[in-house]
Amino acid sequence: MTKHIQREEGDLQDQKVAGYQSALGVTHTQIVSLPGIRTQSGHEFAHVDVSYQTLGKLSPARDNAILICHALSGTAHVAGFNSKIDKPGWWDYHVGPGKAIDTDKFFVVCSNVLGGCDGTTGPTSQNPATGKPYGMAFPAVTIRDMVAVQSRLLEHLGVKQLFAVTGGSMGGMQALVWAVERPDQVRVCVPIATCTSHSAMQIAFNEIGRCAILTDPNWNTGNYTDTCRPEHGLAVARMVGHVTYLSEFSMTHKFGRNRQSATEEMFSVESYLHHQGQSFVKRFDPNSYLYITKALDDFDLFAGQPAAEVLSKVQSRFLVVSFESDWLYPPSQSRELVRQLKRTSVPVTYINLETEYGHDSFLINNPPFANVVRHYLDNEYRRA
Amino acid sequence: MHPGIYDTVLDWIPQGAHVLDLGTGDGAFLQRLVQTNKVSGEGVEQDAALVSRCVERGLVVHQGDIANGLDQYGQHAFDYVLLLGTFQELVSPSDIVREAFRVGRQVIIAYSNFAYLGVRLQMLLKGRTPVTQSLPLPWYRTHNLHFLSILDFRDFCRDIDVNEIRCATFNARGPVRYLPNLRAEESVCLLQSP
Repeated sequence: MTKHIQREEGDLQDQKVAGYQSALGVTHTQIVSLPGIRTQSGHEFAHVDVSYQTLGKLSPARDNAILICHALSGTAHVAGFNSKIDKPGWWDYHVGPGKAIDTDKFFVVCSNVLGGCDGTTGPTSQNPATGKPYGMAFPAVTIRDMVAVQSRLLEHLGVKQLFAVTGGSMGGMQALVWAVERPDQVRVCVPIATCTSHSAMQIAFNEIGRCAILTDPNWNTGNYTDTCRPEHGLAVARMVGHVTYLSEFSMTHKFGRNRQSATEEMFSVESYLHHQGQSFVKRFDPNSYLYITKALDDFDLFAGQPAAEVLSKVQSRFLVVSFESDWLYPPSQSRELVRQLKRTSVPVTYINLETEYGHDSFLINNPPFANVVRHYLDNEYRRA
Repeated sequence: MHPGIYDTVLDWIPQGAHVLDLGTGDGAFLQRLVQTNKVSGEGVEQDAALVSRCVERGLVVHQGDIANGLDQYGQHAFDYVLLLGTFQELVSPSDIVREAFRVGRQVIIAYSNFAYLGVRLQMLLKGRTPVTQSLPLPWYRTHNLHFLSILDFRDFCRDIDVNEIRCATFNARGPVRYLPNLRAEESVCLLQSP
C-alpha cells in the first residue's frame, strides 16, 4: 500500500519522505554503455552511457513496451523506491501495479536524457579527449538527440516497437519527436502539458535560470569543482522554475501569507523555495541545467517546415492532455498541437483537466488525470 | 431526448460512415453508433468529466466548445455531423450549421418542439414558462437559449438554404405523423446542402 504523503498536493521529485512505501517496492536504475550517436550539432559520441530503469515484463509478443520520457529535472528513476537515496521515483503516483501506467500490463522503460546528470552521458561525464569532465566542452544537445539515445537503449533492450511513448513538459516534446521521426515504431503517443516549440515567455524564464548560474562567481566558465559549484545560481534557477510550475491557486492554498511560526521572518513560500533550491543543487549539475534548458528552448517540432507535412508521416494515435491552471505550458499550446494533428487526420483525443496545481499537475497525485491515462492506454492496448 | 430519436439516427446512418458527434456528452450514443453501425467517429464535448467518460468507453473525443472547435477539421472530413439535443444551446445556430456543412456532407439535428400542445397549454393556462419531459428544466436552469417550433425550424432551413430530406417526430407515446407541430415533443431531421 502506498502511504500518503502529508503534503498531498506536492510532487515526488525533491521529497525525502521517510517511510514512503511504493507499491513497486524497491527499484533500481542501471547504467549501460551503448554505441554512440552523432548529435545534430555534429559531434560524434563513440559511445554513450545511459542510465535507465525498467519495470514490468516485456510480453512474449513484445507489444507492451511504454517509454516514459522525463522532464527537465527528472531522472531514470521513474517509480518504486530507491533505498540508496531514500526517495520514491518522480512518477510513482502514476506508474505501478494498477496505476495509470500499469506495470502489471506494460513493460515500462525510462532513461535519463543525454546531457543529464543522473548517469547518462552529460557535462559531468569524462571527456575522452582530456580525461576530465566535459563541462562546457560538452556539445550542444537537442530533444532529437535525446530521442536518438533512447532509441539506442530500446535496441539494446530488444524493443523494436513501442506500444506507447509518453511524458510531460520536456518529456512530451520527446514523445512528439518519437511519433514524427519514428512513426512505424510508435502505436500511441501521449504528450502531456507540452508544446511543439517554446514561446518567448517560456524561453524568458529559462534564460533567467541560466543567467543565475552564469553569473554565479563559482560557475567559472563551467570549470567548477565538486567543492566549489555555482550552487547559488542553480538554486535561484530552480526557485524561478518552481514558481512557474505552480499556480496562483496552489500558492495561495499551500502558503498564503503564512509563516512557519509567529516569530519567523520568512514567509512559508520563501522557505519552500529555499528548500526546493537547496535540495535541487545536491542532485543536479549546473552545466546540465544550461544544456537541457537550451535544448528545450531550441526545440521546434516543425523546424520551419509546414506542420501538415511533418505530421503527415505520423502513424500513431494520440491522447493530448493539458491543465487549465498551467500557465507555463498553457492549454492553448496543446490545442494548437491538437488542431495541427486533426488537420492531418491523426486520431487524437484531447482533454484539458481542471486540476488547479499549474504545470505540476501531471506530477502530483491526480486521480482524474490518472483515470484518463489508464483508460486510454487500456482501450488502445485492447484495440490492437 | 426521446429514445426514438436515437433509433432513428441509427437507422439513417449507413454502416461504416465517418461521424462527428457535437455535444457528445458521456459518449453513450456515439459508442452505440460505433458498435452497431461500425461507424468511425469522434465526439466533441465541453465538460472534462464527460470527456473522461468518453475516454473510458474508448472513443476518440475532443474537449472543447462546439463554436470554437470546428475549424480544426478539414472540408468534408465527415459523412455526418450530429447535433442531438445541443442545437438549442448554440449561441449562433446558423453559423454552426454552416460550419457543420463545411466539415460534413450531411447534418442531423434533433431539437425540442416549443409548439407542442402540452407546452402551449402550460403557457396559456398556467401563464408560466413550460416545463415538460423534453424541456425538463425551469427557465433559470436550462441551457437552452432558443425556443423553436418545427415550423420555425423549417423556416430556418429555408433561410440558410439547406434541405430537410428526412424528418421524424416523437412524443412520449411514440412517433408522430399527424400534425407534428402541435403533437410532437421532439424532432430530428437529416439535412443536406443543395
